[in-house]
Amino acid sequence: MASVRKRKYVLYGLIGVPFIFAIIVPLTSIYPVMSAEVQQKQTTVLSIVNLTLLMFMMIPDFIPSVIASYTFVGEKVNRQLEPLLATPTSDSELLVGKGLGAFVPAMAVTFASFVGLMLVVDLLTFPLFGYLLLPNLLSVVVLFVYCPLIALLSVSFCIFVSSKVTDVRAAMQLSSIVIFPIMAFYFLFLSGVISLEWPTLTVFALVLALASVGLFYLSKATFRREEILTKWK
Amino acid sequence: MIKLQDLSRKFNGTTAVDGLTFEVKEGEIFGLLGPNGAGKTTTVRMLCCLIKPTTGTAFVGGHEVGKDAIKIREMIGLLPEAPGLYGELSAYRNLEFYAKLYGVSKQKREENIERFLKMLGMWERRNDPVETFSKGMQQKIAIVRAMVHEPKVIFLDEPTAALAPESAKVVRDFVLELKRERRTIFLCTHNLYEAERLCDSVAILKSRLIALGSPAELERKFGPSRTEVQLESVSQKIVNVVKGLKQVKGVDIEGDKLLVMTDDPEAANPAIVEAIVKQGGRVKYVTRTAYALEETYLRLVKESES
Repeated sequence: MASVRKRKYVLYGLIGVPFIFAIIVPLTSIYPVMSAEVQQKQTTVLSIVNLTLLMFMMIPDFIPSVIASYTFVGEKVNRQLEPLLATPTSDSELLVGKGLGAFVPAMAVTFASFVGLMLVVDLLTFPLFGYLLLPNLLSVVVLFVYCPLIALLSVSFCIFVSSKVTDVRAAMQLSSIVIFPIMAFYFLFLSGVISLEWPTLTVFALVLALASVGLFYLSKATFRREEILTKWK
Repeated sequence: MIKLQDLSRKFNGTTAVDGLTFEVKEGEIFGLLGPNGAGKTTTVRMLCCLIKPTTGTAFVGGHEVGKDAIKIREMIGLLPEAPGLYGELSAYRNLEFYAKLYGVSKQKREENIERFLKMLGMWERRNDPVETFSKGMQQKIAIVRAMVHEPKVIFLDEPTAALAPESAKVVRDFVLELKRERRTIFLCTHNLYEAERLCDSVAILKSRLIALGSPAELERKFGPSRTEVQLESVSQKIVNVVKGLKQVKGVDIEGDKLLVMTDDPEAANPAIVEAIVKQGGRVKYVTRTAYALEETYLRLVKESES
């Protein structure tokens, strides 16, 4: 965490992204509907809340990418990797250690952000519904199933990318590719191709889990201590 | 403790290390000398199982490099060229982190961190962030990091490069203390004075092995054997007599000092002193030329280039 505090771009990411997706997005999408004369207002608001929950998954996607892209590339740039690679840690231990270093803070930020999201949504919608919309079943699934899986996928992908490229910015840019599964899910729901029902939710969870595990093994299989030391500038 | 057999490493067709064969005994300080790009760091990295040899084999503590990487890494400590510490963390936290990676028990790591930091005069600064330290202080912390798990073999790449003379002396004394503990030390250095002072054996490297032996052996074998004789005053008569001795190959004069070239100074020196005294010369002191290894090294490296 000391490294995170030191690097401003990481710190801004850790604060800015949750602020956007947990506060700004629900506020700017729910408030206009609440204050306007809309037919079937409750249905519309419920649909928007579901969409904000899907957008909320950007937080566990983005945060690990900021931290994890720094893991190998940043340490190599600061020449901290050689003594680390000379310790008797196995490749798996190194990768899991680096992964946890990004996963744990990402989940902590995600849970804290969810409290913010809940407050905003419930404060805005309580007058209309007369009860608290969040937490609901979908939000529990998003928070406890999708968010960890997305964070895991993001971490795996970032570690895979960061051990292949030679500078932190390239690692971060490539890591942003992980956004696509979430965006695809979001737009498929928005366009009505899929609905948020159990079969769809289960398939999406399985896809995320398989992709995470697959990427971890790919990272492990392609992890080369020698290349990190000799080919990186 | 360390054994290399025809060890080579190529990078994209360029030979960085070419057919190294030598042994380092247990409890020995072994110096690897060579100019920049000679392959010193590549050799250390191969022995630490960080990169693989292209051909040849090497053993560290009986374990083969490339096959028993984890076992080798457990028994070695490495000080790389750059300290590579976590600047935001305190010295203590850096060392604690690495001690944990090596599986050192809590009690042992507390003991070791305190002991080694005190030996290098850094105990009082243990809670300060490493980024506030000078280069020399960071180097000392990195040396402790290499020692925190009490390895049998320690690889030190330029341990005194960034240090002020007084700190360099503390580190040299530390290295000698490690030798007293029967640890094997593999030292890469440009500092020939340091190699001469510390090393039991040295290898001169320029991709391939140019010379191998103790500093004294190398000086005897390859170096200009030169004796300095400081006189009260030099006369031409004394110079002529010394030049006339059969063991003497040449004489230079520096003020009231004679610089006498011989093949075997230990055998020739008594005769030189006797001849001077017979001519009425008053000898203040007789000594071997300082930095003899440096001259040997420079000559061998120059010869290898030509």
